[in-house]
Amino acid sequence: MSSSNNNNLNYSKPIFSLKMVDNYSSSEASPSNDVAKEQERLLPIANVGRIMKQILPSNAKISKEAKETMQECVSEFIGFVTGEASEKCRKERRKTVNGDDVCWAMGTLGFDNYAGPLKRYLDRH
Amino acid sequence: MAEQEEEQNPNAIAKLEIPTGRVKKIMKLDKDISKVSSEALFLIASSTELFLQFLADKSAHVAMEKKKRTVRVEHLRAAVKRHRPTSDFLLDSLPVPPQPSTSNPPKERAKMRLEKKSVPFATRSIEAFFQKFT
Repeated sequence: MSSSNNNNLNYSKPIFSLKMVDNYSSSEASPSNDVAKEQERLLPIANVGRIMKQILPSNAKISKEAKETMQECVSEFIGFVTGEASEKCRKERRKTVNGDDVCWAMGTLGFDNYAGPLKRYLDRH
Repeated sequence: MAEQEEEQNPNAIAKLEIPTGRVKKIMKLDKDISKVSSEALFLIASSTELFLQFLADKSAHVAMEKKKRTVRVEHLRAAVKRHRPTSDFLLDSLPVPPQPSTSNPPKERAKMRLEKKSVPFATRSIEAFFQKFT
């Protein structure tokens, strides 16, 4: 895994590679700093777990690893959509990513059944 | 009456379970991102939640198929594989599945290797032969 470039999200490199490197903490940094940094790249496991539980049948359980993997999946999703939307803005020389860019990105990536209805709802209100 | 309905719907959609502050932080990991409109942030956060629910639902189905009550990473992986747009961006990011060494004792594996070598060189596989005619 590359250690030179970890701030630039680039879709040939999954976000997981970011976990392996931390340019900011010196060798004297406390372990809790590294953990905190890593956690900032993920949605809180409590929220992720809660949302999963709401979907699953009441007698179902979720392994800890599955929750952690889901955290990673979801961060990848965010980065993936954001990257596409941001690329569109860059090409069109705009600085602010807006709702239309996000909808477009979702559509390009095959998730148009999410953003479309949401956007229409937003446009109405 | 219609107004009352409209009032109920926004709450159903607008109430996010995931923290938008954290979503924004994750977005900003990408150095190319400078500014994000609040609408864009809301759309990404909501879609992320929908994606999470979708993946959880599919994983639960896989677990049920395998008659397991606990959803595990391998169920998640199978769910990802089954949905094309998701597997396109996510499959490589999932942790590598454990090697089959636990399920295949060494004797089995040696046998499998031998079986693979038993076909004479330059023999076409049976499937290839039949494919021409389908």
